[in-house]
Amino acid sequence: MRLKKVLNRSSVRVGLPGSTKDEIIREMVGIILADDRDFIKEDILNAVFQREAQMSTGMKNGIAIPHGKVDCVTRLHAAVAVSAEPVDFDCLDGLPAQIFVMTVSPTNQTGPHLQFLAEVSALLADDDFRRRILAAKNEDELLKAFCEGRADA
Amino acid sequence: MHEGASLTHLMMVLVLQLTVILLAAKGFGFVCVRFLRQPSVLGELVAGMIVGPFALGGIALPFLGGEPLFAISSEMVLPVTPQLYGFATVGSVVLLFISGLETDLKTFLRFAGSGSLVGFGGVVCSYFLGALSALAFIPDVVSIFDPRAMFMGIIATATSVGITARILSERRRLSSPEGVTILSAVVFDDVLGIVLLALVIGLVRMGGGEGVDWRLLGRITLKAFGFWIGSTVIGIVLAPRITKGLKELKDLETLAVIAFGLALLLAGLSELAGLAMIIGAYVMGLALSSTDVAEDIRRRLEGLQAFIVPVFFCVMGMLVDFRALGEVFVYGLIYAGLGIFGKLVGCGLPALMLGFNGKGALRIGTGMLPRGEVTLIMAGLGLTTGVIGPSLFGVAVISMLISSLVAPPILLVAFRGGSGFRKTLGEVKSADLKVISFAMPTIHLADFVLSRLLDAFRRADYFPRRVGHRKPVYIAQKDAAQITLLRQDRLIQVNAPSAQEGFVRLLLTEEILALKELFRSVEKVADTDATERNILGDLFG
Repeated sequence: MRLKKVLNRSSVRVGLPGSTKDEIIREMVGIILADDRDFIKEDILNAVFQREAQMSTGMKNGIAIPHGKVDCVTRLHAAVAVSAEPVDFDCLDGLPAQIFVMTVSPTNQTGPHLQFLAEVSALLADDDFRRRILAAKNEDELLKAFCEGRADA
Repeated sequence: MHEGASLTHLMMVLVLQLTVILLAAKGFGFVCVRFLRQPSVLGELVAGMIVGPFALGGIALPFLGGEPLFAISSEMVLPVTPQLYGFATVGSVVLLFISGLETDLKTFLRFAGSGSLVGFGGVVCSYFLGALSALAFIPDVVSIFDPRAMFMGIIATATSVGITARILSERRRLSSPEGVTILSAVVFDDVLGIVLLALVIGLVRMGGGEGVDWRLLGRITLKAFGFWIGSTVIGIVLAPRITKGLKELKDLETLAVIAFGLALLLAGLSELAGLAMIIGAYVMGLALSSTDVAEDIRRRLEGLQAFIVPVFFCVMGMLVDFRALGEVFVYGLIYAGLGIFGKLVGCGLPALMLGFNGKGALRIGTGMLPRGEVTLIMAGLGLTTGVIGPSLFGVAVISMLISSLVAPPILLVAFRGGSGFRKTLGEVKSADLKVISFAMPTIHLADFVLSRLLDAFRRADYFPRRVGHRKPVYIAQKDAAQITLLRQDRLIQVNAPSAQEGFVRLLLTEEILALKELFRSVEKVADTDATERNILGDLFG
């Protein structure tokens, strides 16, 4: 329900070139930075890497959800990307990840960020939906899949 | 009291009375909770009956100059001294203030649908059965607008959810469709009961009774609702500002005391306005309930509550005159039966209309049965205002005891077995609940983690409120989504509807990670033992 509001044409990406966890995170933060000039890149990178240090955000089924909380944003920012090749992301199931969902949210407001991740995770739990995401040829197809594909609708 | 009893003598008696009350109340309360698995309220009430002026307390004591400890004199309105009754009155203000604090008005307004229908049905049905019973059993009552009839109606309405909440949380049924409906219905029950009480008190004070003056009734209704809505709205608008100002003090202790002071102020004002004190206390609690410090205030009043609330229940027990009880015992039984019937039918029928099946309706009806503090407060109020005499007060106490004793076993039986929803709607709804639980190394840590989780839910725009008076059970609500959090010993359990499962799992994970980070930073402090050395100082030379 809220995915449409949070995601837009410029916050999704297919064929992300990175081949390591570090590169992927930097590229994802790059997508988020395009949202606003006032964002402090170092703060966001620090927050995301700090969270990774606590526990890897690599989940199962090739999905990773790197995220961080910073003071320089005032609302939830999100990016969704599919990498060109599967990348080792310290996932729970030990397999490489190819679908990445990043959120950056204000420190004191965690509701929307968790809600967003919960909704995305509900969608991605479906095998067919994951296949559709991985098969997306361009950004429009990827965005369309997320905006249409409600798991429980 | 003797002629010219000195003030010191009066105070000495008061202090001794409080000693006996506290020891007896705590002792009986303990026995009730530990061995009889009943709420301590019942033990405290029975303690009052036993040590009160009509039983042991009435025995003349040689060291008090041949006077009994709880002497009754004909000049007194009540069988207890005004100074002792003062403590009980403050106790009732504390109780109602806290129950107001524990209500979440926003949740209530959001849940106005199903819950209010069930609550409304229960209140209306039991009110009329109560009032009609007065018509049938009190010889000179001829109209249901007789103050006595109205009071017997009011007393029959109050539900005390504490017992139900405890049982359902132990059975893990608090977030079931039935559990949620009961909890929201109780809020409506409380609010409606208090408004009705305001109305009846207003009517009584203005000498209503013989014949119905509809214009007077209208004026009083207006006044009651006016005070109620006016002070609630003003309270809710002002409460965040007041607490914001008070938070500048950076001292939650002071904030809690001032908040309680405000409750006393509003209690006094509502008495001045011709309503009852507890109404003001409840309204103040309600106004503060939607502020972020509500839980902090409640926690800081726990000590006061532990002392003064047993005094209140014990004094209520003391007001029971056994001599008057004999002649109304049959009425008491019938009144209790009608009260039970009223709740079962009044709450069960709307539940049936809302899509529950017979079993679900029975569960909801039974969940609304237990009576408790509010019943006693209302009955005590009837006694002090002189509307009901000792015998009707006895009827109220009998009925409260019976419905509290009868409800838990029925509730346990009713909640056995499958879904309480009709098949078409139900199967999904009740199979829907996900249980996530994890253990902590110690109870202390579990408590700490639980309070952090509640904060985390708050930051995620949920409204957690405590539902168990004595057990740590919380419901966090956002719109229609309800999540239950509870701690059993070292175990923390979170129940969430499956639509919220992903959200809850993510939130818990993030919070546990944040906690680990916190503990790591504590370890850094612990790494150098300079801190402890400094603190120990030269203790051993």
